[in-house]
Amino acid sequence: MEEDYYSMSGGSEEEEDCYSSDREDDSIYGLTNEDFDAQSGAPSKAPYSKVITRESLLAAQTEHLRRVMDLLSVREHHARALLIHYRWDVDQLIAAYVERGKSCMFAEAGVTVVEHVDLDPPETSSTVMCNVCMDDVPAKDVTRMDCSHSFCNDCWTEHFIVKIKEGLSRRIKCMAHKCNGICDEDIIKKLVSVRHPDLAEKFDRFLLESYIEDNKMVKWCPSTPHCGNAIRVENDEFCEVECSCGLQFCFSCASEAHSPCSCLMWEMWAKKCSDESETVNWITVHTKPCPKCHKPVEKNGGCNLVGCICGQAFCWLCGGATGRNHTWSTIADHSCGRYKEDSEEKAEIAKRYLYRYMHYHNRYKAHTDSFKQESGLRETIKEKIANLEAKDSKLRDFSWVTNGLYRLFRSRQALSYSYPFAFYMFGDDLFKNEMTTEEREIKQNLFEDQQQQLESNVEKLSKFLEEPFDEYSVEQVMRNRMEVINLSVVTDNLCKKMYECIENDLLDPLQFTTHMIAPYQSKGIQKAVELTTGWDAQISSNNEFHEAADQFNGTGQASTSGTSDDSEQLSRKRPRKGNFATNLIDLNLPA
Amino acid sequence: MVDFARVQKELQECNRDFGVSGIKVIPKNEANLTQLLGTIPGPLGTPYEGGTFNIDINLPDGYPFEPPKMKFATKVWHPNISSQSGAICLDILKDQWSPALTLKTALLSVQALLSAPEPDDPQDAVVAQQYLREYQTYVGTARYWTEAFAKASSLNVEEKVQKLVEMGFPEALVRSALESVGGDENLALEKLCSG
Ligand SMILES: [Zn+2]
Ligand SMILES: [Zn+2]
Ligand SMILES: [Zn+2]
Ligand SMILES: [Zn+2]
Ligand SMILES: [Zn+2]
Ligand SMILES: [Zn+2]
Ligand SMILES: [Zn+2]
Repeated sequence: MEEDYYSMSGGSEEEEDCYSSDREDDSIYGLTNEDFDAQSGAPSKAPYSKVITRESLLAAQTEHLRRVMDLLSVREHHARALLIHYRWDVDQLIAAYVERGKSCMFAEAGVTVVEHVDLDPPETSSTVMCNVCMDDVPAKDVTRMDCSHSFCNDCWTEHFIVKIKEGLSRRIKCMAHKCNGICDEDIIKKLVSVRHPDLAEKFDRFLLESYIEDNKMVKWCPSTPHCGNAIRVENDEFCEVECSCGLQFCFSCASEAHSPCSCLMWEMWAKKCSDESETVNWITVHTKPCPKCHKPVEKNGGCNLVGCICGQAFCWLCGGATGRNHTWSTIADHSCGRYKEDSEEKAEIAKRYLYRYMHYHNRYKAHTDSFKQESGLRETIKEKIANLEAKDSKLRDFSWVTNGLYRLFRSRQALSYSYPFAFYMFGDDLFKNEMTTEEREIKQNLFEDQQQQLESNVEKLSKFLEEPFDEYSVEQVMRNRMEVINLSVVTDNLCKKMYECIENDLLDPLQFTTHMIAPYQSKGIQKAVELTTGWDAQISSNNEFHEAADQFNGTGQASTSGTSDDSEQLSRKRPRKGNFATNLIDLNLPA
Repeated sequence: MVDFARVQKELQECNRDFGVSGIKVIPKNEANLTQLLGTIPGPLGTPYEGGTFNIDINLPDGYPFEPPKMKFATKVWHPNISSQSGAICLDILKDQWSPALTLKTALLSVQALLSAPEPDDPQDAVVAQQYLREYQTYVGTARYWTEAFAKASSLNVEEKVQKLVEMGFPEALVRSALESVGGDENLALEKLCSG
């Protein structure tokens, strides 16, 4: 039935594909979940991000700790020291283990595993000299760390307290000069709690939070007031996520979701928009205060004598008051050494720059404003649906309205952030040396073509959704419905293409800098799900068992199949972390 | 709280082998063991040879679990020591400090720094640039500063300047002449007369 509603130049196959796949797994995350949840069956794709609450923080890391403990047969504090050194990247840790060998990897991370047994345990009566307090202390009051250095318990305790107070307690090093050894966390806890139970507790918390602080795949949710959660992503830190508190953010930079802008572009843009330096710039370049009444006076025309409304004439170049008698190049009885072209040229450049900024900013703002207005559409749409339902017509299925509305929001967002992207992509701020003027022009045309197609379709979609279709005849509603369905598919597709163009044709060829963007997600920013213990173990299948086993056996190759082509991500050129991490499941863990 | 028992032991230990090391640490004031004065001899074969350098030592509350604060009280021309403030750029006085180190070992490290400057990690950018670009000028200036500030005879430098100025040479010229010949009064006079 949905045969030929709309055909966009080229790629109609793709559109249909896309549409039908949309229908298959209708779960829609993001903006307006409550509106769309009704249609979604069981989520067919595994979510790629998890919410870690204060309660699940321990469980989240136990998984990793136990994997390393079992794999390398080490104790918990060794596993933690290793994991902190490798920023909780088990993948990298195992790669280092395979490449460099156990002893080298351990030494780098400051881990010494004691294999020697103390052959002659010190007699309890003997005393030992502690090299820190320089006292002779009973041997029973001396503690020897794994690195084999021993000092008296008082000195160790003092050392730990200073380090914990400094906030550097996640890897407390041995006291011996140039010793890289990391102190045993159990000993630290035991000794510190004798004198400062509160500090011992703090130390415990630091250790727990290391999993968030020292881990590039986990970040605190940036909500204020803070919801207390952290988010863990599975494959790629360049993504956008939604915390269970409802906040959506860019995982990589923790500011609002801003794709297809890169984080740097967004940071620069946000700063530019917040300070009014641009406008201030313009005013200082285009006006000068009158030397008499101090009102800003704008210059018009080429002559350097300007007149204020108060009647005062003055020289534009130096701002000094003058008489009115002048020629094109001089003012009578006035001489100043200012170089005319210089200041005019500066004004010209500042003006061009400002106009360019205004061009992009206006469009960016227009779309953000529309987005805000359209948020109100949700209510009117509900009303319209209610009206249609009340009419008792043959119309039953209104998913096209809600889907269309959702698509409108999604595309509108992509569109508005595409303007700051273009501002930087084709401007001089970031990529001046990356492209020749001609290359830039070609790429800009290519991009703007896509952007404009998207823009016009988004406006059309908006128009059809705003129509009072609840007052229409059934035939008219059906027509409207087709338009909306088609436009939904088209805009989704155009968004996807625009992201692809940005990633593959614009950002990928950059030579001097790397800009990554979060992938386009047709279904919106994915809601992170609460982390439950043993989740990873549950999804492990037999197939993965073998893959994981292969990896253990030293092939060391990241597998390419598995569960993590889960999210609706575009195929991307940049090397993504494979499924190594997610699939390399501890085979010994109870589910 | 500073571990004064340890500081006492350190002082005894350090001053016991003063004859060998030439390194000395004394309290500035017997009643307060947190303010100390260290002394190191300029290493042989360097522009600092023959000089005796005083170092202000301030023990923080956490000593020895926090590093002692040290800075040169004697003016010195060296890429890793501020020619203005005497501040020292040395890793063991910062993050590489270990409670098992002592004042004496720290002063030995400072002495070693005098022999082996690290211009890539400079405290004084001007000196570091000179060290890298005009090594001979650096040696001359460092020697002159040693002569002028780090020797018992240093007091005489001002006298030398005074004497030459009285002979009719402008003070600025006198100082630069003295500096260029490493503080030798006669060579400076020769230079002033020929130039
Ligand atoms: Zn001790
Ligand atoms: Zn050690
Ligand atoms: Zn949150
Ligand atoms: Zn970002
Ligand atoms: Zn005026
Ligand atoms: Zn004129
Ligand atoms: Zn003028």
